[in-house]
Amino acid sequence: MAMDLADVSRLLVKASKDPVLRTGLDRSISSYWKKRKAIFGRYPYVEELARQVREIKERSISMMEELVKQAKESVEENGGIAYVAKDAEEARKIVGEIVGSGRMVIKAKSMTTEELKLREYLEELGNEVYETDLGEFLVQFLGPKPMHFISPSIHITREKVAEFLERFMGESVDKDDVEGMVALVRKFLREKYFTADVGISGANVFAADVGGVFLIENESNIRLTITLPDKYVAVVGMEKIVPTLGDAWKVVEVITRYGGYKVTSYVSLITRPSEASSGDLGPKEMHVIFLDNGRTEAAKDPVLRETLYCLRCGACQYLCPVFGIVGGYWSGLGSAYSGGIGVMWSYITEDEERASYHSFACLLCGRCKEACPVKIDQARVLREIRRRMAEKMARGINPP
Amino acid sequence: MDLKDVFSLLEDNARRTWNPLGVREIKCGEWAKGLGLSERGEYLLYTGCLYQMVPDIEAFSGILKRLESAGKTVFSVSLKITRALNKLGLDLTGIYTTIAVSGERRERFSAVLRNIVRALRSVGIEPAYMREEPYNGVLYHDLGLDHLFEPHARRLAEKIRRTGAKTVITVDPHTTYALRHLLPEVVEGWDVEVVHYLEVLAERGYQPTKRGGSAVIHDPCYLARWNGVLDQPRELLDRAGIRLKEPEFSRRFTGCCGGPIESLLPTIASEVARKRVKELVEAGSKRLVVACPICLVNLSREAREFGAEVLDISELLG
Repeated sequence: MAMDLADVSRLLVKASKDPVLRTGLDRSISSYWKKRKAIFGRYPYVEELARQVREIKERSISMMEELVKQAKESVEENGGIAYVAKDAEEARKIVGEIVGSGRMVIKAKSMTTEELKLREYLEELGNEVYETDLGEFLVQFLGPKPMHFISPSIHITREKVAEFLERFMGESVDKDDVEGMVALVRKFLREKYFTADVGISGANVFAADVGGVFLIENESNIRLTITLPDKYVAVVGMEKIVPTLGDAWKVVEVITRYGGYKVTSYVSLITRPSEASSGDLGPKEMHVIFLDNGRTEAAKDPVLRETLYCLRCGACQYLCPVFGIVGGYWSGLGSAYSGGIGVMWSYITEDEERASYHSFACLLCGRCKEACPVKIDQARVLREIRRRMAEKMARGINPP
Repeated sequence: MDLKDVFSLLEDNARRTWNPLGVREIKCGEWAKGLGLSERGEYLLYTGCLYQMVPDIEAFSGILKRLESAGKTVFSVSLKITRALNKLGLDLTGIYTTIAVSGERRERFSAVLRNIVRALRSVGIEPAYMREEPYNGVLYHDLGLDHLFEPHARRLAEKIRRTGAKTVITVDPHTTYALRHLLPEVVEGWDVEVVHYLEVLAERGYQPTKRGGSAVIHDPCYLARWNGVLDQPRELLDRAGIRLKEPEFSRRFTGCCGGPIESLLPTIASEVARKRVKELVEAGSKRLVVACPICLVNLSREAREFGAEVLDISELLG
């Protein structure tokens, strides 16, 4: 049966009544807001930098097809293998062929691979796949989906984690010993790093001129994922490409600050496979897949295009009043993405009908635009999604 | 709930009355009775009918919330019955609200508008009004129903032009937004100046009666973010001798009251409102002051639980 607004209502009402989810949301939102105020106090120039990043993104998206070509050439010059995947199915197939079956695969947290449902696909092919980001590791086993761009496990309490780890590791776990639980997961993953055949990541931003993938992190899991296995695969949404290394560094700084970090522990830049002669420990093969999946079409759409400026810093999610009540349930459990920006991403890359119904949960209050480093007008885009749906419906109700 | 049913109901009402809830334009203009306002003039006070519709919105969303919790089928069936009755000329929402809404309740919202007229007169402005006052059309636009919004906006612009006004003074932020930002996109040659009454009062040095006491200020999204009216309400409340307290999320980062989704997702709307009331009360006063009829409805409903009182800013600026 076709979907309707009642399905959205049922899902969101249920989420709004979940006290565990609400506690998690309340805590992370108030912590984010405090950190954000401190960061803007200490680095007042970040707003000017964000304005420059808006210009970089506007320019990049208007020349996206050209940048994909440049990026692909750079990867090949560096000795990597570059691909362009037109949709999710093609991207999965490419990765599937690189990985094969019966392999051990480790992953860095990546929304774009969530969009592809890549982990599930590789498991179906008979591979063992592990998320190495702590939050994402928990979501892999406890579900239902990553709740936020950078805080995927907002909804999982430490009690739930303790209960899961006892079952999963077969060891007794103290729910108040957070460090102990972290150490337990680390120990488990450490062994996987050294036996993994393939490491997979997304990209926070990609510099076309040097063919470089930038990855921002705090746990050092990404460094291990991209260097230890023999094969490294990066899945890069086309909108992540900017012209130069200098542009990319600006994007990195803005993502970090608006994501609620003064600095992160690490920023990695990877450009090519290891050179055997230099004794480099890096991967022997580097594969970079540039993913379209609706992005080229969206880049040409005067309204939807703004979605592609998104840096996925999560600021708008933290500060959205509806997200504060229902978290990542908004946009749907079947969607990798969350919140109003998630509905926009989902409309472009996943399921237009589901996203259209979810667009009606937006208040059009505009706080997301205030929060956003590149000032994406989500209210405008979501209203346009509604308008397109209403237009289709009107045509259906009163055929011409 | 089937979105098609909701859209159809709005369409039926729009066709019958040019109002999404079926409120007649002649009723929208009733607040001005006895004030001796002219129907033509340099300044037009245009309310968008939003304050007048508050009791109807309250009654309507009360029904919606009960239907939502009763489930999808009940909801769709009820909307279909409502539509069928509408076609027979029986206005179910109208009947329901006439029974459910006391005259006293309606009187409060008329008083808001009458206070504003008194304040404007005291700074030397004699506003005209529309006896048959049209709705502002924002809901159609918000829901993406451009085929309803566009003719509505053109008709509204024509009605405003006919008053001969050079300046429209608005009282609710949605109307200000619609006239400033939406009408120019739809109506050719729309060049009427649009000001919010708080801008007028602040600029003309309006001196309200001194009251004292404290209050927490809640910026309406549409006033603060989409129209940039931030300092004027603070300045006027200060002139009224009120000690203002700022919530954690204020000015351009103000929190929404939930109102915009109450007709489609009433439970979520009320959770959003509840969280906002909590933030406001935590700022240190149980007297909350708003400057938008939609904020007024939504926050008032949840404020009871916190023992807080929600006032429209005009009620403190007498």
